[in-house]
Amino acid sequence: MSLATTEPPVRSVPFGMRLSPLGFGLLLATSAAAPVGAHAQPNDAVLIRGGTIHTAAGAPIQNGSVLLRGGKIVAIGSTVTAPAGARVIDASGRDVVPGFIDNHAHIGAKTTDLNDFPMVIGPQHRFLDVIDAFSDDWKRAVSGGVTTVVTGPGSGENVSGMAVVMKTFGGADLSKRILLEKGGMKFAMGPKSRDRYPTTSMGVAASLRQYLIKTQEYLAAQKKWEDDGRKGNPPARDLGYESMAEVLTKRTYVRAHVHSATDVMTLVRLKDEFGFDLTLHHSTEAYKVAPELAKRGISAVVLPLGPRIGISEDAMAGPYLLWKAGVKIAMHADAPVIDQKWLRLCASLAMRYGIPEDEALKMVTRNAAEIARVADRVGSLEVGKDGDLVIFDGPWYEPRSRVQFVLGDGQVIFDRAAEGN
Amino acid sequence: MLASVHSRPAPLAWAALTLGLALPAAHRSAQAQDKPVVIRGGTVLPISGPAIPNGTVVLRGGKIAAVGANVPVPAGATVVDARGRYVMPGVVDAASHIGIGATDLNETSDPMTPGLRAIESYNPFGEFGAGQPGPLRNKEALSGGVTTMYIAPADASLLGGQGAVVKTAGPDLDGVIVREPAAIDMTLGTPPKTAARARNRDPATRMAEVAMLRQLLIKAQEYRRNKQANPTLARDLGMEALDRLLSREIPGRIQANAATDIRSALRLAQEFGFDLIVDGGAGAWEMKDELAARRVPVVLGQVSHPYVSNEEIPDTQDYPPVDERLASRLTGAGIKTAIATFSRAFGSLAPAGTGKWLLIDAGIAAGFGMTEDQVLKAVTLIPAEILGVAERVGSLEVGKDADVVILDGPPLSVKTWVRQVYLNGELVYQK
Repeated sequence: MSLATTEPPVRSVPFGMRLSPLGFGLLLATSAAAPVGAHAQPNDAVLIRGGTIHTAAGAPIQNGSVLLRGGKIVAIGSTVTAPAGARVIDASGRDVVPGFIDNHAHIGAKTTDLNDFPMVIGPQHRFLDVIDAFSDDWKRAVSGGVTTVVTGPGSGENVSGMAVVMKTFGGADLSKRILLEKGGMKFAMGPKSRDRYPTTSMGVAASLRQYLIKTQEYLAAQKKWEDDGRKGNPPARDLGYESMAEVLTKRTYVRAHVHSATDVMTLVRLKDEFGFDLTLHHSTEAYKVAPELAKRGISAVVLPLGPRIGISEDAMAGPYLLWKAGVKIAMHADAPVIDQKWLRLCASLAMRYGIPEDEALKMVTRNAAEIARVADRVGSLEVGKDGDLVIFDGPWYEPRSRVQFVLGDGQVIFDRAAEGN
Repeated sequence: MLASVHSRPAPLAWAALTLGLALPAAHRSAQAQDKPVVIRGGTVLPISGPAIPNGTVVLRGGKIAAVGANVPVPAGATVVDARGRYVMPGVVDAASHIGIGATDLNETSDPMTPGLRAIESYNPFGEFGAGQPGPLRNKEALSGGVTTMYIAPADASLLGGQGAVVKTAGPDLDGVIVREPAAIDMTLGTPPKTAARARNRDPATRMAEVAMLRQLLIKAQEYRRNKQANPTLARDLGMEALDRLLSREIPGRIQANAATDIRSALRLAQEFGFDLIVDGGAGAWEMKDELAARRVPVVLGQVSHPYVSNEEIPDTQDYPPVDERLASRLTGAGIKTAIATFSRAFGSLAPAGTGKWLLIDAGIAAGFGMTEDQVLKAVTLIPAEILGVAERVGSLEVGKDADVVILDGPPLSVKTWVRQVYLNGELVYQK
């Protein structure tokens, strides 16, 4: 991808100013009141004009416009005008949608770094430690309109570590790309080996329960030492329990790889017992116990709609049944298993089974952001949110539609014309 | 290219033809529809010609009796109102394993098993079919409009055996066979190496793969010579199958994705004089001139997931960077190019984008340089030609099998559902 040729010339707005709350408020005020006058400093403003804006936060705006500046969305509606010096992108007849969010992926790392197979429970692992800022995965993601991703360890262990929520663009400095460093603790149900404990789902449940109890004891010992006035040496630190303690204290949450309804209910029981926040991933049979999930506010991130996976018509309708039962759902591509370019098609297929178009879009944008706990920044086209959006040459959900432009933090990061295809 | 290959009638029909027997009633009614069916008022996409708005298709005796804008309705016909709908020929999936259980896909005990027939692992019942006794209905395929498909052993073997062309519905397991054997199935590249390495035996390299195939084909040449000299020579099932390949009665299908594997496939086909079909073909663009000159067709995998190998995330050295324009570019270069599913074990995490998704998936190619007509052709008439069954299926033409799909919207839209499927004139699927 030839970013260098597609980006507009570098503007003279210092980075710090772009993100300062004061500067942001000022921009917001000017754009809301009137177009920025001719005296305005050279800026990095981009106006997307004339498209159908699917905001994921309300009804679509026909013939609408979105103004981006300082990396953020500063105006949106049907009467937004371009400030002087703004780059204008004509989106007439096109669909504009929020940058897609893949809530569950394993990108940006070597496939050999996804699973620490000898480990059964390894909450101390952090996916951040294997992320390669220069991986080709990021370009692929951007070319498909995916601008935010929850990327994390695989499912080769029953607990495989902490995921990270980050932008798919932005260069070498990962700290600038990360939205949430403690992006969720990956659990994976089902035995991972035939040769060592646990080899059954019972065994998996028991070993998870045992580990959670040990974590409770670890926290209790910590608390006792503090209650006793921090006398003597503190209890020995254990990275594993310390990481799992983040789950029990709800500073992060459980992201559980699960297919069968039986394993879903095991997780529900563990949640009830230990009081952690739970989200389901892949969630093939979650629809069978939808009321149990709705009752507890458990969200489901669903995989099986990948067009490559043949599953029963019942399970294909699963997302619809979950949605109808009031469960918040997102779709995921499990990239690199399914190329993230087709994340949108996972939502399209859910639409086929009865989910309305705008709700389907939320499953790869707003819902995905809310489940990932980053909805204050991304997931919908609203003033104040990050300037991440995608422009399609046709309906976003149709297989034949192509991504024309992707904007990330308010700048063009993919331009199909410049790609030459 | 396929040279003068003829499909064989299904065994029962064959017996009836040669012996002048009357077919049992059950089979007769299943193979020849009792009452004409008239599908009227829809947008007819014959594939062999331009779209016919407000067109009519007449199905009689299991065959297409008429297609056009002004076609008289025969007396006593069942009339199907297709207003607002699209009518097209049954989709042809040029490569699939659906209906073959995961443990029946690969005879990994031996890297070369030419005597094996995929049809004998084919068990399209249970979840694949109606889930109950009665006529065979592969609902998974039918729900995507697929009426004909090629089934084959999977790719862990260097030479897995013989594939078959089957319909996705029929009176019974024999009644679905269109052509069997339809091809000899081979694989070059990573999958056979990986399977063999796990058993600590050859082929461990690409060199060994080609050498082993070459040695086997030399044996087949010798068998052929010896058999001609001595008709009482002891029979060898594998050699007999390869004899069909060398006599060009059936083609050789070689799964080859890396350009180097495609090159080896072309070399073997030239050396042993068999008709070649390249399966997978991810690296086909690099070999386009030779593929075009030698008129070798290519069966590509799914556009959204073009990795036809058995690995969930396959060896990248087999696959050049994914290029969704490949189908368009190969077609433009004059190479006969089909888009197929290569679907595997149903319900597993192995690549199993079944026929259900073939139209939707192929629709992606319409955004990458192909016209909608070209895309539809790549999943109907072109695969029918590649499979050597175009005289029976692949387009709505008078005299072809009455395999007709009625859709409630444009065939390549994700919102569209297949509403009815007629196969041999019989309504076999309805949503």
